Amino acid sequence: MAENVIGTDISPPDLRAKITGRARYAEDFRAEGMVFAKLLLSPMPHARVRSVDTSAAEAMEGVLGILRADELPVQSEGLREGALTDEPKYEGEPILAVAAVDETTAAAAVEAIRVDFEQLPFVLDPLESLREGGPDAHVGGNISAGRGELGSVKWPASVFEEAGADRLPMGEPATEWTLGDIDAGFDEADVVVEETIVHQSVTHHPMEPRSCMAYWQNGKLFLHGSTQSTERTRGGVARMAGVESEDVVFIGEYCGGGFGSKISGAPIMAVPAVLSRKIGRPVMLRITRYEENYIGRARAGFQGWAKMGFRADGRMTALDLYLVQDSGPFGASDLFTAGTVATASYQPENMRFRGAAILTNTPPRSAQRAPGGAQIVAMLEPLVDKAARELDVDRLEIRKINAPGHDGWLGPQQGQFTSAYVREALDLGGELFNWEEKRQLSGQRNGTKVTGVGMGLSPFTAGSAGRDGLLVIRPDGKLHVHQGIGNLGTHSIADTARPAADVLDLSWDQVEIVWGDTSKHLPFSTVQAGSQTTHAHTRANHAAGTAMLGLLQELAARELGGSPADYRVADGRVFRAGNRAAGMDFAEAARRAIAIGGKFSGGVVPEDLNDATKAAVAGLAGEGLIAAARDNYSRGGSVYTWVATFAQVELDVETGEVEIIDLASTTDCGTVMHPRSLAAQTNGGVFQGIGMAKGQRWVFDPKWGIPFTKRFYTARPPGILDVPLSPRFAAVNEPDPHTPVGAKGIGEPPVGAGEAAYVCAVADAMGGLCLCRTPLTADMILAELEGRPRPYGLLETHV
Amino acid sequence: MAVMRDMIPPFELYQPTEVEDAVRLMRQHGDRGWVLAGGLDTFDWFKDRIKRPEAVIDLAAVDAIRGISAGEDGGLRIGAMTSLTDVAESADVMDRYPLLAEAAGLVATPQIRNQGTLGGNIAQDTRCWYYRSGWPCYRAGGNVCYAATSRAMNREHCIMGASRCVAVNPSDTAPALVALDAEMVVASTSGERTYPAADFFIGPDIDIERMTVLKPGDLLTRIDLPAAWPNARWYFEKIRDRKSWDFSLMSVASSMRVEAGMIQDVRIVVNSVAPYPVRLGAVESAIRGRAPSEETGQMAGEIAVEGARTLRHNDYKVALMRNLVKRSIRDAA
Amino acid sequence: MEFLRRALNPWGENVPIGVSWDLIWAAVIIGAVFVVAHALLVPKKVGAGEIDESEAKGLPDRIQRHKPGARGFHWTMSVTMFVLLITAFFPVIGIQFPWVTIHWIAGVLLILTVLYHIYHVFAKQDIRNMWIGRRDMKEGALGLQAAMRRPVHRPRAAKYPVDQKMFHHAATILTLGAVVTGVLMMYRVDNFLLPQNTYMFSDATWGWVYVIHGVCGIGLIFLVIAHVYFAIRPEKRWMTWSMINGWITRERYLENHDPERWAVTEADGAGEMEGTAAGGGTGQPALSDKA
Repeated sequence: MAENVIGTDISPPDLRAKITGRARYAEDFRAEGMVFAKLLLSPMPHARVRSVDTSAAEAMEGVLGILRADELPVQSEGLREGALTDEPKYEGEPILAVAAVDETTAAAAVEAIRVDFEQLPFVLDPLESLREGGPDAHVGGNISAGRGELGSVKWPASVFEEAGADRLPMGEPATEWTLGDIDAGFDEADVVVEETIVHQSVTHHPMEPRSCMAYWQNGKLFLHGSTQSTERTRGGVARMAGVESEDVVFIGEYCGGGFGSKISGAPIMAVPAVLSRKIGRPVMLRITRYEENYIGRARAGFQGWAKMGFRADGRMTALDLYLVQDSGPFGASDLFTAGTVATASYQPENMRFRGAAILTNTPPRSAQRAPGGAQIVAMLEPLVDKAARELDVDRLEIRKINAPGHDGWLGPQQGQFTSAYVREALDLGGELFNWEEKRQLSGQRNGTKVTGVGMGLSPFTAGSAGRDGLLVIRPDGKLHVHQGIGNLGTHSIADTARPAADVLDLSWDQVEIVWGDTSKHLPFSTVQAGSQTTHAHTRANHAAGTAMLGLLQELAARELGGSPADYRVADGRVFRAGNRAAGMDFAEAARRAIAIGGKFSGGVVPEDLNDATKAAVAGLAGEGLIAAARDNYSRGGSVYTWVATFAQVELDVETGEVEIIDLASTTDCGTVMHPRSLAAQTNGGVFQGIGMAKGQRWVFDPKWGIPFTKRFYTARPPGILDVPLSPRFAAVNEPDPHTPVGAKGIGEPPVGAGEAAYVCAVADAMGGLCLCRTPLTADMILAELEGRPRPYGLLETHV
Repeated sequence: MAVMRDMIPPFELYQPTEVEDAVRLMRQHGDRGWVLAGGLDTFDWFKDRIKRPEAVIDLAAVDAIRGISAGEDGGLRIGAMTSLTDVAESADVMDRYPLLAEAAGLVATPQIRNQGTLGGNIAQDTRCWYYRSGWPCYRAGGNVCYAATSRAMNREHCIMGASRCVAVNPSDTAPALVALDAEMVVASTSGERTYPAADFFIGPDIDIERMTVLKPGDLLTRIDLPAAWPNARWYFEKIRDRKSWDFSLMSVASSMRVEAGMIQDVRIVVNSVAPYPVRLGAVESAIRGRAPSEETGQMAGEIAVEGARTLRHNDYKVALMRNLVKRSIRDAA
Repeated sequence: MEFLRRALNPWGENVPIGVSWDLIWAAVIIGAVFVVAHALLVPKKVGAGEIDESEAKGLPDRIQRHKPGARGFHWTMSVTMFVLLITAFFPVIGIQFPWVTIHWIAGVLLILTVLYHIYHVFAKQDIRNMWIGRRDMKEGALGLQAAMRRPVHRPRAAKYPVDQKMFHHAATILTLGAVVTGVLMMYRVDNFLLPQNTYMFSDATWGWVYVIHGVCGIGLIFLVIAHVYFAIRPEKRWMTWSMINGWITRERYLENHDPERWAVTEADGAGEMEGTAAGGGTGQPALSDKA
């Protein structure tokens, strides 16, 4: 018997290539006759191109072509972002591209181009745009009115006057929902806490920028890019290039990080695609770190206000939230997630959610690892601590009191969860961290250092259903798992294949994973976002594995006699129960399947498959024993994962510096597929969240609307020395009953948990004082401790 | 003319092997030439096409200015091209000038310390992000300091020594060398000159476009450390936003000779509070003859921040400087 | 040689940031060429003029040309001007020292002296003394011809010869240009008089402020060179002395000044350092010009 491949550590098939440098990322590819493109970026945060003089550039030797915004199939208009634009809405938005024989020439050519810009009013701070007469990010509006239309929201001056400098102004909200009776909830409360809170916007900064290379052969576009998804990227690329999906071959075997910024392609991919068609040469567009800072997406920030009511027993009776979102120029949906995520932490008896998502002239937003979720968790958890102190309820206990059980509910629709082992995760975390002892250290002073302990509980969506799995047993005897999902660096490309091997009782070394190139016949998949992959594709591959098992049994019965039920499958053989010799190995099965054809080798496929999967099967037909299946397992509700992180910090009262002494995280993410990878994913997310809270920044000059944190060293994402060398981790490891493997996603929830644990621990070290903003840097802490003026206004953003 | 960044433009590369050849090349190319040591400061400028020299004179092959050797009178001579790793890990430096070893070891990251040189770390340009963004500020030959405006983002900028420009000196080793009373040896075609470390750095009141006395044609070749004070106590601390690959928000270096529990002699230097490392002469005079205690430190801190002038976002630096000066006395070991 | 220094502002717009420093050398060179050419070409005529003794009747021996207030102004302004030019241009040419504070303080002193001068001129002097009329132009034209060794006789001047008036006006324009722009520039440097307000104007406007300041400063280099040169020319030294001690001799007066255009009475005797002496001249130049 092959060992059970689920729940053990494996080396993913791409690991060696990554470590040795053999892995080829988008910018490592070359094609015959390939040339290079460079972008001309807007120097102004909001402007209109009056005229462009490219004559000097075109006259330069080696310059092959210039691509303007109006030549693109998808053009920038209103809230729709194009790869290039003649009305830039943030400093750094690409205006045009130049192709030349080499980058040196292309860069010199860009410099030789004269663009006459008409400068337009711009806004960096949503609250400025909400004022009467305040600037708007677009000509004609500051908010999405739905269906791609622009709208305008302005609040009367009285709203701002009433709020003063230290409280969020709360005018007519653009979005609102209510559960129960918020006023009654507060009436019932014994303790009410309230804060104005700012969460920064912050760029993604994946290690690999979104470079891409494109060429055309016989009307087909070949595009090498860096994305989180593979099969689902093809449609986007086709749209951008103005061709049909089947005319696109997308290649992306490795992705140096996306964090939500590269879900299914990037607008900029249109540039090499269209430019290559225009000049008839393969075009490589290497995106630099500087450019990535602009076009590489960012998390939406919030200027918020929250009010919570608790009964003396610690139960939350009311939660009132108001969030103003910095949506960037083209919008973001974090705002709409935030309220929902809050319910998954606290199950408030009454709740009101209000907000406005305001457009600004800052680089575009997109999902960033728990979009809306990480922000709201980090914003609200310190308030829960504040209430716990006032109620004299233990901080871990108050979270357990309010956390959902399996009968919990989610969001304004109050849907149910597939499973919720939240209290178990909190208990496990309390043990792992030794909360009982650690909390005694709170406020203890050692020299100039004060200890603080804190924790954060962070829920986020973690699954989806209805995707397809596609397996081929080839004459080499191996199980080839075709993965439409991308290899975004999380090992899910390998881990989600494991249920297929598990169903077939096959040892892992007999499994080949096919991925990263849409010409390799990949099935319909999820986009790699929303932490769906593990859940969705363990299901899809479980379904395909089960289908393969059936086909093997059927094939054996047909070839060797008996009924399918008489046959077992293990160790790469299908054989009669009780007699391993009476059967055939997978290689033989593959050969026979090819010979028989029909449903055994892709000639007939289940009707419920997605068209993309059907096309993939058609492409593979006759190459082996082929099983394709749709995930038709029951859904059972919203799939959520929770992560609890506990932090112990030391705050130096003479410098404001904070050192993290200890970190421990636990999770309810269902069945553990791959322990080592799960710990790495969780800790990585926790660090990312700590980075947002501790020192990562996105600073703009307010006068010019230009960011300064364009490089790693100025943006300051955290380094390995900023966190303890041995953060601890444990998982509840209870299977989710509504999915065959029991596994849920893990990608996103750790971010908010790490961030919240950090801000709560710092507040604890400061005697429970919440500065209620991120980033929470040493200068702010020191100013507070020394009683000096606050370095930034309470609602100031981009600091 | 559109702006292009992150793409190094072409230049002529010279790789001399002798100091004489290097300074001759430097003189030949004047302000159109550029001296390349480790490249950590240089390539940022080149990549952004803001500094566009015609000729780059790479010092990597000039062996005479690399390495650590014994100096006169029991001191130590460190070639300007000695890597920061070599400085931080040298047994001689660690043993006799642990202050410098500590400062060098806190620069950026191991990779950067392997590549970066002591000379480069000392002579590096400011990291003011207005200036580094290629904006036409005073330091870049323009007529404005963008960082001193009422809405500017100037948390990292200076609280003393400003003159129109409010950028700070970012070097970690510079304050240590001033505190150790090092001498900077500078070569040019007209011969060799020596500057006390404190005089090597200049403020914008003297020259708004340079951080040091080095002019085109001048090459920092060596750093001479005088014999260390016997039984000296020292202190170095660098405050930064993250623990690797970060410039200091502020750093402090102190070197102290204590006899019979009293400070006999002391040098205290704070960096990233001004456009140059600030030696605290008034503090030093005030604390000589006192015990290196919390009280003395407190008093020293108060004196140190006298006359500090803050910008919109850097008021915290006053408290930080006061506290760091206190620590540099109280916690010196 | 470029006239302006230009740069791309943060929004990539090409804006002026100041005048080209090459113009410093241009001013110095032009000044030097002018001095050398003038010294070589223009004859030095020292006190050779003939005096009509009849005109001398009733005139004091010493005639006041510059009142103490005017002299005080002149020398204070000279000192501040030298300080301003040295602090402005020495650092540019490589002689470095902390110059900014000295420069703006000198500038403030200059402004005070200029304000005093304006007050003094309006309250105590006759502004028309500096007016350039038709007779001044004729005087200038003939003077120019005489300087070029043509056989013409340069007529005697009013209180101030036309070249002196022209110098004064040029200096006035350049000084006021430098002063007005200098005051604006104080909004960009740290001083206790004006708050910093970097973004008071657009960067292009600021650029022109700096250009005007630079042009005026560089123009003043030329004027100062010429002024110092004339001050030490042998035939003009009597005027230089008059700026030191206030008076000129009767002979110099009659030799160089037209009593019709600058009527001197007893009261203008140099013995009286203060008083209503200027009254003697009131109205006269205008009448003279009519004649």
